[in-house]
Amino acid sequence: MTAADRPPRTRGVIALVEESCTVCMLCVRECPDWCIEIDSHTESLPADDIHRRPRTEAVLDRFAIDFALCMYCGICVEVCPFDALHWSPTAEYAGTSSAALVHERDRLAAHEAGVPSPPALDPRGVSDDPGPRRPAARP
Amino acid sequence: MSGVVAAAVVTALGSPAATAYDGFGPVTVDVPRERWVEAHEAARTAGAVFFDLLTAYDLGEDGFAVVAHVATADLVDHVLLRTTVPREEPVLATATSVHRGAAWHERETHEMFGIDFAGNERLDPLLLPEGFGAAPLRKDFVLAARAARPWPGDKDPSDSGGRARRRSRPPGVPAEWPEAGT
Repeated sequence: MTAADRPPRTRGVIALVEESCTVCMLCVRECPDWCIEIDSHTESLPADDIHRRPRTEAVLDRFAIDFALCMYCGICVEVCPFDALHWSPTAEYAGTSSAALVHERDRLAAHEAGVPSPPALDPRGVSDDPGPRRPAARP
Repeated sequence: MSGVVAAAVVTALGSPAATAYDGFGPVTVDVPRERWVEAHEAARTAGAVFFDLLTAYDLGEDGFAVVAHVATADLVDHVLLRTTVPREEPVLATATSVHRGAAWHERETHEMFGIDFAGNERLDPLLLPEGFGAAPLRKDFVLAARAARPWPGDKDPSDSGGRARRRSRPPGVPAEWPEAGT
């Protein structure tokens, strides 16, 4: 059985859409296994109006999931308010050491290519595809 | 038909000794500790020949709840049999005289909760190393790994590299233990 044969939302691996992550830390704090690690810093953005203060924005530096610790509960996927985390049916990522199971952000982002569209709610209907998961590029 | 086995167990043990609770899932029948085996016999006589599982959970000062799930062979009717054992004397009669398959579950429950099953002679450790000497699924078991490693959620994105203002001990770590990473 390959990943394509598995139903959508199969708990294979967790994919990250970096552009959607706002570094809110909810997934890190909700994870019962402490398997997610996020490093970030804040950057200040110039105010779009002279009457306003400059805004600060959290920028993601590191996003890592340790799949040696992960118990595939999916709480991080559920809790993410911006849908930055998705289940991918890909399960073929065995490693020869526990360190090889720590997936850093580039690997987590690559998993996103394997995330299928959600199935149609009506079995005879069309797939209820919400469109691209990646948000439009910022101006 | 559902609920037949539960009704049979309550009838066999008599109310109020056995009380049935029809929650959202299968019916749970609470039985006295000393009539645990009798409850299993009554359930099996009523048709629940399939022994699914037996496990426990920690009630704190009230002791431990031991739960067994049994079902009819066609899996249409099923019931949860539940009893409590005190923390000071965590002993319960073995259900292996009714369901031989309970031996494996009792062995695991003994290992994880330190509950003795009188009459089950083979309660050897299953997963833990020899001489571990503690019951890891009891609430008072200290999670030493949690104390040794800093919580990744302690970081605050608003101050780079800093830590969140709210400090709390991770669940399962005593308050007097030193803070991880300090």
